[in-house]
Amino acid sequence: MPLFLAEMLEVGVPTIDEWVVWAILAAPVVSWLLIIAYLRKLPAIAGYATILAVGVSTVLSFVVLFNVIDATGGPVVFSYEWFTAGSVVVNFGARVDGLTAVMLVVVSSVSFLVQIFSQGYMAGDKGYGRYYAHMSLFTASMLGLVLADNLLMLFVFWELVGLSSYLLIGFWFHKPSAAAAAKKAFIVTRIGDLGLLAALLLIWARGGTFQIDEIHQLAITGALSSTVITWFALGVFAGAAGKSAQFPLHVWLPDAMEGPTPVSALIHAATMVAAGVYLVGRFFPVFEASADAQTVVSWVGAITAVVAATIAIVQTDLKRVLAYSTISQLGYMMLALGLLGYVAAIFHLFTHAFFKALLFLGSGSVNHSTNTFDMRQMGGLYKLMPITFATFLIGSLSLAGIFPLAGFWSKDEILHDAWGHDRVLWAIALGVAFMTALYMFRAIFLTFFGEYKGGQPVDHHDEESHFHGDPAHPHESGWVMTIPLIILAVPAIGAGVFNMAGITDGLARLLTGALPVPDLHEVSFDWWVAGSSTVVAVSGIAIAWAIYYRRVVESSALRDAFYPLAVVFERKYFLDNLYEDFIARTVLQRWWNRLLELFDTYVVDGAVNGSATVTREVSARLRVVQNGQVQAYGLLLVAGVIIIVAAVFTANPL
Amino acid sequence: MTIGLEEFLIVGSLLFCMGLLIALSKRNAIGVLIGVEVMLNAVNLTLLSFARFTESAQPIAGHTFVVFVITVAAAEVAVALALAILIYRNRETVDVDQFTLLRS
Repeated sequence: MPLFLAEMLEVGVPTIDEWVVWAILAAPVVSWLLIIAYLRKLPAIAGYATILAVGVSTVLSFVVLFNVIDATGGPVVFSYEWFTAGSVVVNFGARVDGLTAVMLVVVSSVSFLVQIFSQGYMAGDKGYGRYYAHMSLFTASMLGLVLADNLLMLFVFWELVGLSSYLLIGFWFHKPSAAAAAKKAFIVTRIGDLGLLAALLLIWARGGTFQIDEIHQLAITGALSSTVITWFALGVFAGAAGKSAQFPLHVWLPDAMEGPTPVSALIHAATMVAAGVYLVGRFFPVFEASADAQTVVSWVGAITAVVAATIAIVQTDLKRVLAYSTISQLGYMMLALGLLGYVAAIFHLFTHAFFKALLFLGSGSVNHSTNTFDMRQMGGLYKLMPITFATFLIGSLSLAGIFPLAGFWSKDEILHDAWGHDRVLWAIALGVAFMTALYMFRAIFLTFFGEYKGGQPVDHHDEESHFHGDPAHPHESGWVMTIPLIILAVPAIGAGVFNMAGITDGLARLLTGALPVPDLHEVSFDWWVAGSSTVVAVSGIAIAWAIYYRRVVESSALRDAFYPLAVVFERKYFLDNLYEDFIARTVLQRWWNRLLELFDTYVVDGAVNGSATVTREVSARLRVVQNGQVQAYGLLLVAGVIIIVAAVFTANPL
Repeated sequence: MTIGLEEFLIVGSLLFCMGLLIALSKRNAIGVLIGVEVMLNAVNLTLLSFARFTESAQPIAGHTFVVFVITVAAAEVAVALALAILIYRNRETVDVDQFTLLRS
């Protein structure tokens, strides 16, 4: 493959047919429209329609990728005028470059596999047709988001992605927890989106353009003051932090696990949450121009990575371990972006999408036979579910960064960038790598080894539950679910080949070709960095093995030993308490509402009642004039005439 | 002392003011009508005085107006007296203070 890529690089002629680009976006839109219009009552066809549409997008995405490889990642833009607002022309267009092509392939291929997996996982659900409608809408929005050639169009698709995420988290809306999680996700990400909107307005007011390449030029040439650039970058990052679940806006992502597991795999692990990283990568030249923004991005990323990793260690819900792991890895990517490790961050996004989707689908497969995500009710599943176990192990090893799996190469590149820029951040990243290995293998030992603890008994009174199996006797999932796992295991093992440090640089060329000033990222291999990360990863696995398999120390004893710390982790750093109990309940519901109540009582009601009182008092005094006597009216008339005449003569003396 | 425009205007305005006073103060509807007639004739006197004492390209414009006013006043009196009789038949009074139907 590396040689093949190298040969392709020599050609360098961009030849993408325009219809291919638009068809990628159009296919899921068509399936979405078809499903909501005709197919909601025909679930079997709805599923196949979505799979077919996303399949078309996937094939065409690969076509685009190979064409972009020919053009060494350079941008091709197909743009049409959408509308004009004052002096600003807003386009509706597609920008295809290395970054877009990589994202297209990740989004459409992961989506494709997830749709197939869903056929098995969602079988028998009452909302099957609705599920596929939402999935089509999500895929279309996400593809539109990465294709957009201007910030306004990007923002539109950005919000559509948020909407479809909301619909899918709240898919089982009859469960109050799912409805609450959907609302929480929508509101928290909206706080970040406010920043993105502010950035959009700022660049419109100061730069007068929404086009991405023009914004790049504004940043590179220094046409805008550094203050404006910094605020724009911070606004964009706020949007990215909301979508990519960065501290302190990460609280929605673990709750989003209330949605169906394939949704978690696609949206809340592989693609949508990566949209924030993509956004920062898309405006990378802007961040390059602002040192302050870089500091903010890298430190927010580092804090996120540490906070999420520590929480992941104490979770008992398999899916929540994966959710916090996702947050932690997204923090890793942000950390890399803040250190100008553009290629490293997108490379990690690329590999992470595959192995994290694999892990989530694996957890879904486990759930499908045990009816639970609680690891305390699992155990010993490696014999009963060998394919799920093998693929889950591959995903975990890749995530832990074990040579030579995909995660090793991408994580190593981030660590390498950190080592070169900031040793403090490097140390933090290394600590997170250790915790990553620890919590993933804690999850593996609890889930797949030891005695099986029976799963969650099926509640036959719950009519909404579509669980058909027997949790007491778990079994391997059907082919429709294991085949996507096996397929995803391939890139989880091998996706590193596109950018092996010091060996291949295909992805780096592709990604840097998308930048206005192509600067080939030097990928070098540092034995010291790679060695240290491998040592911490292996030691993390070893400690997990010692505690959760050999039971050298009881985990409850460890918990007692680190009691205050364990409580902080278990309570998620009390952030939910801060947001819900203090900000929402006390500040907003109590103080702010009291203020509004006073305003309502004295200002709003005061104005209404006041005007009524004034009218009543004035009319009481004027009423005596209207006595019905013609002569009184005549007298007033004469008096009026006299006043007018007197006034006229006073003003114009004879 | 010669009698000129000024004297006629003084008489005319005095007549008008008396008529107005009668129209606004009499309680008897017939009295009010008489007041209105007095005011009309005060205006007629004023118009004729201007026609008599000022140079004009249309020397008989004032006279013409007066003839019209007399005619209209005659018609008005006919209607007004008919109304007064009708009101008297319905309410058995011609006291205008009693006519406060417009007051809700």
